[in-house]
This record gives sequence, C-alpha cells and structure tokens, in this order.
Amino acid sequence: MKIYGDLLSALRSEFNERERVVLTHVQVQINVPFDRLKSYITELKELDFIEDETSLKLTEKGKQYLREYEKILDFMKRMGLAYQ
Amino acid sequence: MSANMYSTERMVVEVAATILCFIIFRFMVKPYKLTREGTYLGLPLGFAFLGISYGLAALAYSPLGFDPKLLWLPQLTRTFAFVFLATTYLFSNRKSKSSKLLGETSISLLVIALAISFLLAFVAPQFAFEGYSQANVYLRIFNVICLAYIAIYTLRSHLKNLDPTTIWIPFGFIFIAIGQYSLLFWYIDSSFSAFVGSLVATFVGLAIFLFVGYRTFYGSDKKRG
Repeated sequence: MKIYGDLLSALRSEFNERERVVLTHVQVQINVPFDRLKSYITELKELDFIEDETSLKLTEKGKQYLREYEKILDFMKRMGLAYQ
Repeated sequence: MSANMYSTERMVVEVAATILCFIIFRFMVKPYKLTREGTYLGLPLGFAFLGISYGLAALAYSPLGFDPKLLWLPQLTRTFAFVFLATTYLFSNRKSKSSKLLGETSISLLVIALAISFLLAFVAPQFAFEGYSQANVYLRIFNVICLAYIAIYTLRSHLKNLDPTTIWIPFGFIFIAIGQYSLLFWYIDSSFSAFVGSLVATFVGLAIFLFVGYRTFYGSDKKRG
C-alpha cells in the first residue's frame, strides 16, 4: 500500500541520483525508524518488488506497482484530495 | 409540475448517467484501495449510490414504472450519494487519528441511515409519499448545498497549487450542482429550459469526471516520466 509506494519511490530516486542506495537517505525520505525500514525492505522482497535486499533494484513488478501508485496519487490530487 | 413530462427523454438520460456513474466508480475506488482509510470510501460509495439513484429514476420514468409511492427513493439515494462525497472532502485533509476515526464513523453511520431510510420506505411507503413533494424540494436544496461545499473545497485546493490538471473537478461538481438546481426549478414551474439545462449540466458534470479518470489512468505517461 502507501508505505510500499513511498519506499519504492525513494529507492528509484536514490538510483537515479547516485546509482546505489544509501539506506539512511531512504530512511530520511520516508521518515521511518531504521529497524522498520529493514522490515519493509524484507516485505518488498517477499512481494517480489525488489531483486534482493542488498542491491535493492526494482523488479518489473515493483516498477509496475510504482507506476500505478503514482497514478492514484495523481488522481487524488486532481480530485482535490491531497493525501499526506 | 408533472412527473410524466418528458419522461422518455429523461429515462434515456438517466440510463446513460447510470452507466457513466458505474464507470466513474471504478476510478473512485482506487484511492481507498491504496490508503485503506474509511474516509475515502465516500468517493466510490457516492458514485455507486449516484448510479443507483439514476437507475431507479430511469426505472421510475420507464413504461414499466414502479409504485408511485416509491418515487422518492431515487431522490433519497441521490442525496445520500452527495452526502457521502461531501463527508469524504470534509474529513480528507484532517491528519489526526481522532478526525480520521470521526470520518470513518460518519461514513458508517451514513450507510446505516441509508439502510434505515430504505427499510422505512418499504414498511411505510404511504407516510413517505405524503411528504414527497415538500421533501423533494428540500432534498434538492440540500444537494445543491453539499455540491457547493465540495466545489468550493476543490476550487480552493486548486488555487493553492494552480495546477491546470486540478481545475476540471471543481467544474464537474459545479455542473452537477447546476443540474440539481435546474431540476428544482423544473419541479416548481415545469420550465422546459430548466429541464433541458438540468440534463445537459448533469451529463457534462459526469463527463468531466470520466475524462479526468480516463486521462489519469489511461492517458500518456510522458508527464510522469
């Protein structure tokens, strides 16, 4: 759900900026404690949204989920419902 | 006013509006699926009940018809639909847990209230029918108030960011409000222009929602990168 979308979005922007992921940057972006961030990453792997827990590269399924997530956020914005 | 005036034209438009509402419903359920917050359930419920109300109205004006005592059912369902939508907007921007709980409780209470109203309609239809004429006027005025609130809310939301993609929805709600307002006039003085105006405005309003949903989910991805 939303936390997975936020996390995938943060991982993608990390890859876009420096081609490797610095977890503390991701942690700051999505504003969760480090231990919870690790558990979310494990869940992303179980959902097949990332290739593995070290490289953290998004799979095609993860990219697809992120695209759908961004479309829904965009739709909510268009509807005048800014979701925080 | 005569309920039978322009009944064929009205039935055709009500059927088309029903179809539009159920297509729009498919877009409106997505925010709830993402957030799992009960407050956002007001959007799909609102458009589902709006679709049901247009469907019931189409049935009422069709040659099949139904008991005139139940004629107020579409109007009541429509009012609940607008209240569901207004409740979502009322609680959507509140971040505290108690506000979210209040929003979810309001949606639940509205569902219960709608169920009780329907039960009453079938248990004591005579009672409901006697007050139909007056209730119809009051409910339409209430609908316009709900829609005006949502239109102002979405317009303010647009003015905060001034994004051209967010200007459509306020107009969607404004057109549906004009539709309700015109129907009120048609109900009072049977004016043909008010009747046509209400059908056109309602249809344009729903078409805007369909356009925004389609554009967001099936439009080009270029802008999103």
